[in-house]
Amino acid sequence: MPKHYRPTGKKKEGNAARYITRSQAVKYLQVSLSVFRRLCIFKGVFPRDPKKKVKGNHHTYYHMKDILFLKHEPLLEKFREMRAYEKKVKKAVSKKNKDLAERLLTRKPSYTLDMLIRERYPKFIDALRDLDDGLTMVHLFAALPAIERENIQAERIHNCRGLSLEWQAYVSRTHKLRKAFISVKGIYYQAEVEGQKITWLTPHALQQVMPQDVDYKIMLTFLEFYETLLGFVNLRLYHSINIKYPPILDPKLKALAADLYALTRYVDAKDQKDGSNNEESELRLAQLQHQLPANEPGALMHLVENTTDENEEDEETRTCKNLFNNMTFFLSREVPRESLLFVITAFGGVVSWEGDGAPFEESDQNINYQIVDRPTQSHRFISRDHIQPQWVFDCINARIILPTEDYMVGKVLPPHLSPFVDNEAEGYVPEYAETIKRLQAAARKEILPMPGGEQDDLDNAHNLLAEGIIDRTKAKEAAERKRKMTILQEQYHKELKMEMEGTQNTPTTPKESKKKDVDEETDDANLQQFADDDDNMSKVAMSRKKRRLYEAMKISQKRKKDSVDTLKTRKQNIQKSKKSSD
Amino acid sequence: MGKKSKGSRKGKKAWRANISTEDIEDFYEKSSKDALSGGSLTEVPSDSLFFVDKSRDLSVKRKIDKHREKILRVDSILQKNSFVKPVPSSNQKKPKKKQKEIQRTESSSQKDGTTDTGMVDIWDDKGEHAVKARKASKLTVIPAVEVEPPGCSYNPSSEYHQDSLAHAVADEMQKIYTKELRPAPVPLTVPGEAIEEEDMYFLDADNESDDDDQNIDEDIEKRPFKTKRVTRVVQNKRARNKEKLKKEAEVKKTKEFSKELDSLPDIINEIAKEDEEKSKRHERRVIAKQERLKSCPPRLGRHKFEPAPVQVLLSEEITGSLRKLKACCTLARDRYKSLEKRGIIVPTAKSGRK
Repeated sequence: MPKHYRPTGKKKEGNAARYITRSQAVKYLQVSLSVFRRLCIFKGVFPRDPKKKVKGNHHTYYHMKDILFLKHEPLLEKFREMRAYEKKVKKAVSKKNKDLAERLLTRKPSYTLDMLIRERYPKFIDALRDLDDGLTMVHLFAALPAIERENIQAERIHNCRGLSLEWQAYVSRTHKLRKAFISVKGIYYQAEVEGQKITWLTPHALQQVMPQDVDYKIMLTFLEFYETLLGFVNLRLYHSINIKYPPILDPKLKALAADLYALTRYVDAKDQKDGSNNEESELRLAQLQHQLPANEPGALMHLVENTTDENEEDEETRTCKNLFNNMTFFLSREVPRESLLFVITAFGGVVSWEGDGAPFEESDQNINYQIVDRPTQSHRFISRDHIQPQWVFDCINARIILPTEDYMVGKVLPPHLSPFVDNEAEGYVPEYAETIKRLQAAARKEILPMPGGEQDDLDNAHNLLAEGIIDRTKAKEAAERKRKMTILQEQYHKELKMEMEGTQNTPTTPKESKKKDVDEETDDANLQQFADDDDNMSKVAMSRKKRRLYEAMKISQKRKKDSVDTLKTRKQNIQKSKKSSD
Repeated sequence: MGKKSKGSRKGKKAWRANISTEDIEDFYEKSSKDALSGGSLTEVPSDSLFFVDKSRDLSVKRKIDKHREKILRVDSILQKNSFVKPVPSSNQKKPKKKQKEIQRTESSSQKDGTTDTGMVDIWDDKGEHAVKARKASKLTVIPAVEVEPPGCSYNPSSEYHQDSLAHAVADEMQKIYTKELRPAPVPLTVPGEAIEEEDMYFLDADNESDDDDQNIDEDIEKRPFKTKRVTRVVQNKRARNKEKLKKEAEVKKTKEFSKELDSLPDIINEIAKEDEEKSKRHERRVIAKQERLKSCPPRLGRHKFEPAPVQVLLSEEITGSLRKLKACCTLARDRYKSLEKRGIIVPTAKSGRK
């Protein structure tokens, strides 16, 4: 109840006044239940769990303020208007007044959710933060069949598909994809847009079943909101890279269900045009042409792209963009095309596939990798690797080009590990993760600069190599730098180790560290004692609350460690059993 | 004329003889009169009979006008008066401002790059007419898209897979146990013979209770109903006794009090301990509640939320190939469950049923 009007016998405060059951709310707002539900979903008003459930335990409660918030919504009035209008139409139809009915139907009142989106997400970043659910829903409905019975119309499904592909095109164009994980449920992707990590789930390319226990009315209402939201987000993102938003696609490609490719081509074409218009980038292009060997047009093309938006990019985006640089992929018929198209282009690769509308044929000589998912491959090209699709996903998660031996056709694949698990935090590192780590370390030693220190002048290994080609003397310098780097890196690793072992983290020169190595073994017991004492001292100094927290943390750590131990023992058991069976 | 009738004189012919010819005679008379006076007036055109008076009679006109201009008092009351402000039937606020806003938004949309479909970047203005942000209550800590554990990968590593599988099995077993441990349902049929209606009356009959009642009654009757007279001596004695008891109690109390005083530190300790226990219990409860909220929503309606089973491949289902993957194809249910889990929608009987 509003404050100024309170009938006698109504409570003024407490849970009885603060909460209202759903049926009461419906009566209060004078709408039907279905309209109330829609309104709640659009406005983001959700049921609450009051401390005291005054009307009983089996009711759904809403906060009174939320209901008042709904009451002032212009959409409520709009819904009423629409209902009245529907009555008019119905009356005309039942009176057999066909003309009037038709005329009325042409001018049906409609509503938009634009203002609501503005209201719920005052800033763009808020919208991005809440995009997970929307993206997943839109991707899901893009894969659902249109069913008349559940009032799922084909138009909406097409719209969902368009929206999802536009989003994917943006992510792949700007190389914002970070992780991908194939699970039983579907494929998880994680992108980082404007500093926000956005995770979404897409279904496998299978016929989706419509379970009976799902209320599709509610799902469609959510979808309606998310469609609008994603539309605005896409618009904003496309404008941020200077592309007109509702993209116009090649109808031929669209008919062949290669929308994503059409979209990416559209985006790229626009981009090239922009690049040529931009004088500054042309100038830089000329500079770069001097530095680079001229026989690589593809690389040049990529560089053009790089120049346009290098300023905004961070380190990670650059590594992501260059992962599949200068690599050409070909997808076989049996491979899930859409997800691979998305993933490979997002990491800078060039893709084609078997079927109409493909950019190049299977017999193309430039193809480096052919992705195949069948027990045996009859016709093999010598110039390329025939690999299974998991290789692509494992590569992007590890951020290195993994050796292809394990992923060849017909081989038993290594496990597909989840990139969403933080192995360090969890404590347990699976075997394959360790090998990947080793490979990563090896790759880093070759190219990447060591963390910390002179990161600025030694930014990119490619730069280094290019310089080497241009100038011999410079190359020598580079080599020297490399040597220095390796020394520094070793030192760094040692320091890391020391830290892990719990010694003081004062910076040490190599000589000192050698001395330490000698001392360490003798002082081991002492160190343990010191550490314990230190621990106790700090414990005493802490406030009670902090101490509790600390203890709780300790307990949880111990629990984690125990679980890791069980995992390890289990693994050992498995290995033993395997050995015994062999 | 004709023949003369021979019959009755009461018939038509007799009447016909008596018809009056007065009107004919009148006509003749009139026409003759007209002829004498110079033609009938009806046949004369109206121009010759009437003429328009074109002469000006100002006084009459003024009179008519004046009469017309005059406003009745009834009407004058209802007329608008600039000194009296109209009373609106309802006071709605600032319709003018709205119009202005609409104009402004129109102009701004024109300024913005309005696309072909009429879509506008709603976040473009830097909070110019920012809507007052409503503080959205963060409902749950459960993320919108929960990433499956690594054991649910399509090609999981064996340890993780065993882990996830163990979880799934544990969930299933728990379901089975709860079903088993539930109180046994009331059987629909009971074994045994049906009791005849006549016997039914004798089933509950109990003769013994009647006997007991009689015994009690007899006891009461037998008991001698005597009251002893209380003498002064006895009264005094009782009073003294009472006083004595009171004193003793007081002494005891003081002793106890002093004892307690001595053990004050102990009591303080005890209270502190109790307080600590209470606070611990409170903390524990809060933490437990948070933990619970991490895995499932609070009870929002008639039905409890039932989590969907973990989607994990069985050991024999792992093929290691994406093509042969036996994947879950009910993502719609997963999404719906996620909405329920986050407390956005209320679980229903339909969604809980398996």
